[in-house]
Amino acid sequence: MPSTSAPASSAEPGILVARGLEKRYKRVQAVDGLDLTVGAGERVALLGPNGAGKTTTLLMLLGVVTPDAGWVEIMGHRLPRHRSEAAEHVGFAAGYLPLPERLRVVEFLRLFGQLYGLADPGPAVELGLERFGITHLAGAMGNELSSGQRTLIGIVKATLHRPPLLVLDEPTASLDPDVALRVRTGLNRLCSDDDTALLVTSHNMIEVERLCERVVFISAGRVVADGKPAEVAARFGRDDLEGVFLHLAEEREGA
Amino acid sequence: MRWLRVQAVVRRHAFVLQRAPQRWFDVVVWPVVDAVLFGAIGVYFGRQADVGEAGAAFLLAGILLFHVVFQAEVSLATGFMEETWSRNLLNLLVTPLREVEYVAGVVLFGLAKLAMSVTVVGTVAFGLFAFNVTDIGLALVPIVAVLLLVGWSVGLLVIGLILRVGQGAEILAWGLLAMLMPLSGIFYPVDALPGVLQPIGKVLPLTHVFAAGRAVLEGDPLPWDEIGIGAAGALVLGAASVWFVVRMLATFRSRGYISRHT
Repeated sequence: MPSTSAPASSAEPGILVARGLEKRYKRVQAVDGLDLTVGAGERVALLGPNGAGKTTTLLMLLGVVTPDAGWVEIMGHRLPRHRSEAAEHVGFAAGYLPLPERLRVVEFLRLFGQLYGLADPGPAVELGLERFGITHLAGAMGNELSSGQRTLIGIVKATLHRPPLLVLDEPTASLDPDVALRVRTGLNRLCSDDDTALLVTSHNMIEVERLCERVVFISAGRVVADGKPAEVAARFGRDDLEGVFLHLAEEREGA
Repeated sequence: MRWLRVQAVVRRHAFVLQRAPQRWFDVVVWPVVDAVLFGAIGVYFGRQADVGEAGAAFLLAGILLFHVVFQAEVSLATGFMEETWSRNLLNLLVTPLREVEYVAGVVLFGLAKLAMSVTVVGTVAFGLFAFNVTDIGLALVPIVAVLLLVGWSVGLLVIGLILRVGQGAEILAWGLLAMLMPLSGIFYPVDALPGVLQPIGKVLPLTHVFAAGRAVLEGDPLPWDEIGIGAAGALVLGAASVWFVVRMLATFRSRGYISRHT
């Protein structure tokens, strides 16, 4: 019997606490006993080569995928029983998610503001669009936006309710450098202003070094390194995070 | 259950209907086509058999009541399918929205679509064939209630199948009811079916509700026994559908099927 529905809060410190997460898809062990804690205001990058288990981990942390074993708590709310309460404290955006068709940006944002419990989402929508310098997109239809604009709107959507934890899956994948810079700048401002904790996956190591104070490398579904970027690089005898990434990717290919 | 979130789901689907002309086919175009088609067939056969307007009335009442169950089912199923078509499922699953709130929102908006489509059928039937559905009177209330329950139940079954097998099951949103249509005697008593199909027809809740509708049209009092059997069957179907969709959602989460929709 998996322990995912175990009752009560662990009383462990941290906005997000996950212990012993395991997930197997047929013959593939996607996540294998993963522990993770994200503290208040902390900016954490979850890194690893393709197939390392990053997205599966994020989806388990968000309650979208049920772990085979282990448990997740967000602000003391244990999944899956208290998923709805936990979700009130989290925002999620992914670079690969489109905006629904047939909705204007402002309509999309207001709808999601309501889903996140805002009775009048108007002011939060305005603030979010201003923060990322995209007020001119308010009236655009979702299918008229570039991928960079979609990403920015997705992040605005994820932060309307000012969650203490923002989870981003590949937020700047396939973005031009100037748009990626705008995303980073907006995120930095958001985290500073609201003390928002960040959990982000990315393949862009330079971006990670600029955005996050802590990196968690996973490989074959396990945490293989956890610490400050410079410390982790030094532990692997590399100059930077890119070196660690390449090392782990080679190791995985050789396995 | 938070009303604010239910309201957001209703508004989301109102935008879809407002901006997607093809959605109006289910609400306006098919109801008009059906009303004209079955009304005309009824008039023609009425003349042949010398039964006057009664033939058209039977067919029009049948198609009108069928649109109740059809619209309830299709609104719920296509409402969910809209989230898969627009790859919005993950966006929704990470919000605090509860499954019951989502279903409530889609059902509520479906009721608005149902009111529109039944009004269309009723207006065409009255305007072109002088058939007034309100002649059925208050008996319509229990009949429609059971039809709604059956429609929502079938809609939940379809959603469960889409969760389990993916978009390949979408055709069932229209196909499942199309299969039930001849078996449940919408336009005729179930004993008009070939003998081998009659037992199937008799266990379907819709059969008993349509039989009740025909009885009222013939001027008899509402046969509560038929309504009772139909309601009991609908409740069993409803409970089975809820159980099924909950199970399929658990499988969806457990097997990570969200990857099919991102």
